[in-house]
Amino acid sequence: MRRAFGTPIGDYLPAFGLALVTALYLAAAYRYPPDAREIPADVAWTMLGLIALDLVSRTHTGLGRALMRWFNPAADREDAEAKPHYTAGRQIIAVLWLMGFAAALNLIGILYAVPLYVLAFTRLRGGRTWRASIAVACGTTLFLWLLFAFLLRLELYPGALIGGR
Amino acid sequence: MLDVWLSGLQGILQVRELLFLALGMVIGLLFGAIPGLGGSTALALLMPFTYGLESFAALALSGGVMGAVPMGGSISAILLNAPGTAPSAATCLDGYPLARQGKAGLAIGAAASANSVGGIIGTVTVLAVLPIAKRLVLLFGPPEFFLLAVLGLVVVATTSRGKLLRGLITGGFGLMVAFIGYDDITGDVRFTLGIPYLWDGVHLVPALIGLFAVAEMIDLSIRGGSVAREAGNVRITRTLSGVLATFRHWRTVLRGSIIGTVVGAIPGVGGVVASFLSYSLTVQASRDPESFGKGNIEGVIAPEAAINAKDGSALIPTLAFGIPGGAEMAVFLGILVLHGMQPGPMMLIQHQPEIYGLIWALTAACILASFIGLLFVRPLALVTLVPAEILVPVITCIALVGSFAVDASIENTVVTAVFGVLGYIMIRFDYPRLTIVIALVLGATAERNFHQAMLMADGSWSIFVTRTISLILLAGIAALPCLPILRARLRRGRGSGPVSAGDQR
Repeated sequence: MRRAFGTPIGDYLPAFGLALVTALYLAAAYRYPPDAREIPADVAWTMLGLIALDLVSRTHTGLGRALMRWFNPAADREDAEAKPHYTAGRQIIAVLWLMGFAAALNLIGILYAVPLYVLAFTRLRGGRTWRASIAVACGTTLFLWLLFAFLLRLELYPGALIGGR
Repeated sequence: MLDVWLSGLQGILQVRELLFLALGMVIGLLFGAIPGLGGSTALALLMPFTYGLESFAALALSGGVMGAVPMGGSISAILLNAPGTAPSAATCLDGYPLARQGKAGLAIGAAASANSVGGIIGTVTVLAVLPIAKRLVLLFGPPEFFLLAVLGLVVVATTSRGKLLRGLITGGFGLMVAFIGYDDITGDVRFTLGIPYLWDGVHLVPALIGLFAVAEMIDLSIRGGSVAREAGNVRITRTLSGVLATFRHWRTVLRGSIIGTVVGAIPGVGGVVASFLSYSLTVQASRDPESFGKGNIEGVIAPEAAINAKDGSALIPTLAFGIPGGAEMAVFLGILVLHGMQPGPMMLIQHQPEIYGLIWALTAACILASFIGLLFVRPLALVTLVPAEILVPVITCIALVGSFAVDASIENTVVTAVFGVLGYIMIRFDYPRLTIVIALVLGATAERNFHQAMLMADGSWSIFVTRTISLILLAGIAALPCLPILRARLRRGRGSGPVSAGDQR
């Protein structure tokens, strides 16, 4: 993996992402009247300072190591420990499964999305037999329907494509 | 006074009332264990059914629910990292690591006994304080609420000592998120990106479900296996050790119970602050702060004691002023009104037997729910052995549909998913989740009370130094960050072994 200042570039990404979000937040804050932006803007400026420190502390430079020792000693020690490494692809796939399910809930509704997601996950990702996958999917859907629709009399969201908002 | 306490107890110790108490407990345990439901949903659901009941029966049912919900929330927090109720999120921090080490029985045992002891201490305190409650609650105004919120943030930030900088960053991010929505003071709608759903701000419970339950499910699906890393390692037989651990760490229980009682009595602050504050102060006080977050049993005991102690004292503002401490108490207020009991100072005079009956019911429910939790430890702990490919989709479904059920809003599921991914990124890149939670809870309160205090004082900051309670809180805010440095110096002075990493600053 490519490195900058002795650290894999990927390790800087969260801090850069957060800096970008904070900058956008700050720009939005200055569109509000002074009273409304006072505290959010103060917090955002402070955040930018803290993120800058975090970025420097992640480098393997003298200053970076000193900052890590002062502010994040536990993180420093954990870096040295053997952490399990997962490929980016494996992590992205796990996130996509969740995002796909959330999208399905919004589009086709709870009663269709739940069995489809459970069935697909246990069969395709988990490699379970069709019979076991169908049983888990039916059981989960039945439990959720009994609890929320039957007992709590909650109208389960039908999905944007099937008449929801 | 004693005769009123006894008449309250007598009112509850009837067969019918005890049956309603038991029914309330079962409902409370179930609703507490499922993320997104909780006590307010259970009480709201039961409210129409209490209409035909006598006051004592209705109060027994409500007390049973309120007393048992925390235990239900703790069970799912420990076994699945899925906090059934928002305050139980603090229990996840050490309870879940214990479950992953195969010590779910130990953690549930400790949670159950801390729940009971905390509940009893909370009750005793309420019984003692109720007669003078009015004067105590009136000592807090907007300046004190603002400083209390700042104190909460400072306490939690200094807790993540090993990762102070990253703790501050996640706290700051939490504050930024907390400012989203309609601003009560200026009337402006901020940072909503034009999405009407965000006018109310980012809802806490869906965010917490995402940060803890969903993030953990993403992690588990990548890691594979089961929650307990080695099947042969699940030691369910250590439940008794967990129960005894609570008594061994009696200082932690006492500290948690006092924090729970004090915070619970302050309207609008709630159980999340009580449990996280108790956790943070326990880490501060510990000789081995580095072990927290990795499965320290005190990390389970501290929040659990606070959560149940808070339930009793939350009754003080609800009953004495008609000001509910949180959503659960707001619904409970409705039940009181439905039964002809108008909360306010007169209620403390006119309905004393009912009030004390309710307090007894709440305490009994705390203790009995803990026993039920202990009885089912063995089958419950086996959940930690379910393979990831089955557990992940089932828990993800329950988490997202539970999030929808909070207020029947489908947008909640998007919040939960987004915070789930955020929580996973925080796990992978080693950012503490503790500070973001407390910032989410306290951010809006701090800002609102700051503006109100400024309005009260015509823009003068002197209001924060001219009131006794404010001064005490200010001193606390100034002193807390210095504590780790002082402790480190003391240890060096004594030459008692190596200085912990957190104290090296």
